[in-house]
Amino acid sequence: MWENNLADFDIIVVGAGHAGCEAAYAACTMGMSACLVTIHLETIAQMSCNPAIGGLAKGQLVREIDALGGLMGLLADETGIQFRLLNRSRGGAVQAPRAQSDKALYRLTMKKWLEDVPNLTLFQAIASKILIHNDKAVGIETLDGTKILAKAVILTPGTFLNGLIHIGLHSYAAGRANEPSSLELSENLKNLNLRLFRLKTGTPMRLHRDTIDWARFKPQPGDENPVPFSFRTQKMLENKVLCYIGYTNTKTHDIINKSLDQSPLFSGIITGIGPRYCPSIEDKVVKFPHHQRHQFFLEPEGLDTAEIYVNGISSSLPLDVQQKILKTIPGLDQAKILRPAYGIEYDAAAPTQLHPTLETRQIQNLYLAGQINGTSGYEEAAAQGMMAAINAVLKIKGKNPFILRRNEAYIAVLIDDLVSKGVEEPYRLFTSRAEYRLNLRIDNADKRLNTYGYELGLLDEDDYKRYLNKQKKLNAVMMFLEKEKIQTQTNVKIPLKDFLKKPEVRFENMLEYTKLDVDLSDEEKRFIESEVKYEGYLKKQEKEIARIAKIDKEKIPESVEFHKIPGLTGEVAEKLKKFAPQTIGEAKKIPGMTPASLINLHIFINLQKKEEIKNVSRGTR
Amino acid sequence: MLDDTIIAVSTPLGYSGLGVVRLSGSQSLSIAKKLFKPKNQSRKILSQRPVLGNLRNFENKELFEEAYLTFFSKPFTYTREDMVEISCHGSPVILEEVVRLGVQAGARHANPGEFTLRAYLNGRIDILQAEAINDLITASSLKQAKISFRQIEGRLSRTVASLRSQIIHLLSTIEASIEFPDEGLRISLQTTAQMLTRTQKLLKKLISSYDLGKTLSEGLCLVIAGRTNVGKSTLFNALLEKDRAIVTPYPGTTRDYLQEQIKVNDSVFTLTDMAGLGVPSHAVEKEGIKRGKKMAAASDGILLVFDASSKESNEDFRLLKKYNHKRSILLFNKIDLPVRMDIEKIKKRASSRPALEISALRGTHLDELKKMMHRHFVPTHEESEEVILHLRQKILFEEILSCLTQAQCLLKDGYSEEIYIEEIRKTIPLIGQLTGEIQKDEIIEEIFSRFCVGK
Repeated sequence: MWENNLADFDIIVVGAGHAGCEAAYAACTMGMSACLVTIHLETIAQMSCNPAIGGLAKGQLVREIDALGGLMGLLADETGIQFRLLNRSRGGAVQAPRAQSDKALYRLTMKKWLEDVPNLTLFQAIASKILIHNDKAVGIETLDGTKILAKAVILTPGTFLNGLIHIGLHSYAAGRANEPSSLELSENLKNLNLRLFRLKTGTPMRLHRDTIDWARFKPQPGDENPVPFSFRTQKMLENKVLCYIGYTNTKTHDIINKSLDQSPLFSGIITGIGPRYCPSIEDKVVKFPHHQRHQFFLEPEGLDTAEIYVNGISSSLPLDVQQKILKTIPGLDQAKILRPAYGIEYDAAAPTQLHPTLETRQIQNLYLAGQINGTSGYEEAAAQGMMAAINAVLKIKGKNPFILRRNEAYIAVLIDDLVSKGVEEPYRLFTSRAEYRLNLRIDNADKRLNTYGYELGLLDEDDYKRYLNKQKKLNAVMMFLEKEKIQTQTNVKIPLKDFLKKPEVRFENMLEYTKLDVDLSDEEKRFIESEVKYEGYLKKQEKEIARIAKIDKEKIPESVEFHKIPGLTGEVAEKLKKFAPQTIGEAKKIPGMTPASLINLHIFINLQKKEEIKNVSRGTR
Repeated sequence: MLDDTIIAVSTPLGYSGLGVVRLSGSQSLSIAKKLFKPKNQSRKILSQRPVLGNLRNFENKELFEEAYLTFFSKPFTYTREDMVEISCHGSPVILEEVVRLGVQAGARHANPGEFTLRAYLNGRIDILQAEAINDLITASSLKQAKISFRQIEGRLSRTVASLRSQIIHLLSTIEASIEFPDEGLRISLQTTAQMLTRTQKLLKKLISSYDLGKTLSEGLCLVIAGRTNVGKSTLFNALLEKDRAIVTPYPGTTRDYLQEQIKVNDSVFTLTDMAGLGVPSHAVEKEGIKRGKKMAAASDGILLVFDASSKESNEDFRLLKKYNHKRSILLFNKIDLPVRMDIEKIKKRASSRPALEISALRGTHLDELKKMMHRHFVPTHEESEEVILHLRQKILFEEILSCLTQAQCLLKDGYSEEIYIEEIRKTIPLIGQLTGEIQKDEIIEEIFSRFCVGK
């Protein structure tokens, strides 16, 4: 039927970025055959921007990906050159690991790992079209006419869809600096009735290490005891580089202010919306004119390269202005630019068009993951890639989808936010987006997700066994803490657990009063400490979650006429009619449902039930 | 006398949802037009068509209260003259202001029953009907409707909006320091504590204003208490003499104690004279005492009267102790006679309650008493402060306050940010019940507009 056919696969993944790599790996580990199509094999898992993984909320995501059996955590540990645990002085719920990575080593290692995955075919090609049959995705076509067929297609094109690079008032089509953009695919998606919109992001310049006067900047070393990302990392991690902190000054800002007419953003050429939390330096200067200085970080991009990433000076100003900017900063005045900073506009697809499984509503078996859904960040992309693949595989196997709940993982918060609310600017995860932040910690990611990972076939037997043993050990320690009492200064005997609950007491302090007959890793100590300190809140949240779950299960009778429910707007009633949810939980997922409407619906259904009960008892008399 | 235009408040003075001021006479419309500005300037005022507009103080050109003006052209009116009815919210203050302005504009304050008199004289009704109308008026009761002081409500919304933005500010500041640990946004415990305190203060003020709101909507109940013959009834009558409010008694209440309303400044007090508890006879007395206790307990305050011309007795001290927990003013009456009471002794036992020496008979210091009553019993209320009128709102404010107080405690005890911020986060759905829900995006937006963060 199809000419020029390469082969048939279970799953095709288009784009080998962070989303694509996790997707391909997950699909194959779950027993499928997959084809990972990429424009350049050299740029598999290329870090477009920041040479780092993790940070607040992102670090938690990486732990979750790892707990499910994904690659990012292992890879970050393998290729990390500096490690820090952020918010060490605060509680476990807001601590997050972050690592500088050797960019080249990161992508080479990923490529090697993927090459070794059985049933995974890497293929270099530019995808131009999704092949459709009966409203279902059946494969892709590449620019040279090759067709690849599959049962499902996962699209993870990053910033390549209709990518347009801006440096000053010049612009040219590219998906990433000088890599071709995907125009055809973007057109194709529009023809498939997918709603696309324009977003923008940017990246800073890269400087040559030897042209920087390092003495001028403050070093920021890694942690003494680096905390790994992955629960499965056995080896000791080493810090191999220093990062440095610097500041712009008023002279810098003058130059920027004078050059705004050459900025594509301020001259209106860029129409895409950029991320507020990744502002260009010109954004910062214009928005905060009274700030005398803005911070930046000089981060090495690897051990075997002289390239230095200037974290904090992202820009789309022209190259000569970028050079002038550097000249105003002591220590960077002689610095040579190896890669200019640039802004990039790209097409994204409104994520409200997706099911919570990341399958599009319009086309069956077509999944979207990563930056195309309007997110920013490698970690956000990786999480989506993995979830899309898991669900694609489950669908092929005829099983129920895998959808996490907001109290279970940041992954759920991310996907739920995207699919329910949509995005207006590039979405980034923050811990404050999670209602159950106290439960979504790095120290309990395995507890929350390992079992899922194992049951899905992503986490192998040995790792899972190790986790189970860890749980046994930790449960025993918790029981010990509940039973064992110590004498405090006021001569009252309290259980160790209550002692550890006190805000000024940390795990180490507690060890001064007692002896544990097991060895606990730092991670395990962190877990115990968090569980104890947050206990009250966690219990309350559990009750709340149970209450909500109960309401979610409430069935919506088919006979309900939504238009008759008082307090519901016509728009909401229409939506309910259209989507015909069977439970309150399903109603919640309808895009645009407001909490107030849900309450009205809930109350109405319950009143109706009461009426029915009354009528029934009357009838039987 | 019958040619001029009269004006009067037609609805009973007291607090109700609606109040009407009526004018009757040939100048009714022209005078009313001075007091009223229609919303739609081009609107003609036609007979029997209510027009929406605002009341206007033509002295200082200020617009106040929204109102409806209806013109009734003769002869088919109650008095058979031209009449105007102005309907607005039933605040006695406003209604009386309308009358005052009307008088300034050329009307005359109607005598009691004058509207009906004109109706009779103009042949609209006969004498029997006139009497029937009077009965109807005197029998009607004050309707206790919900108050919505529109001006006050407007200000309340603004205060709640301010509360909301303070909470967003608080949350975004703490979240920013958590989310961006490398970017120098750490705030000191002191700063956070100060922000919390500021919002707590706002909430406390709002909550305490509920009492004023209740007062304004229900009036303050004061009980005049004291031993027999200290002059309670004299005091009662003396206070009523000049300041009796034009009201009718509450329906369904038995008149075995005297209860009347007086107006002091802007506040209405309901005075209860416990002396009216009937002639002492064994059986009646018990009932009377029971009812008296109930009244005192339910009252907002006590005027505790002593006879300064007699020596202090155990009974006096007992009464002092009895009403110790109640807000009260001590009144040493009968100072027109030689003073035999050791006033200082009583005052000492009185735990610094305000006290005044008066002569109810002579009227000595009664003006001061009224001022004191106003000062002591009426919760303070500055023009700019808010008044919560609904219990629902008060309860929500109290819940929000308790969350913030808990956060403050946790902060002081050294708990980490992510713990005490949970308490503050609890206020989000509560505020949502008062005003719009606070979306997470709002907090994130706030962070990014205030702080230059993100790399």
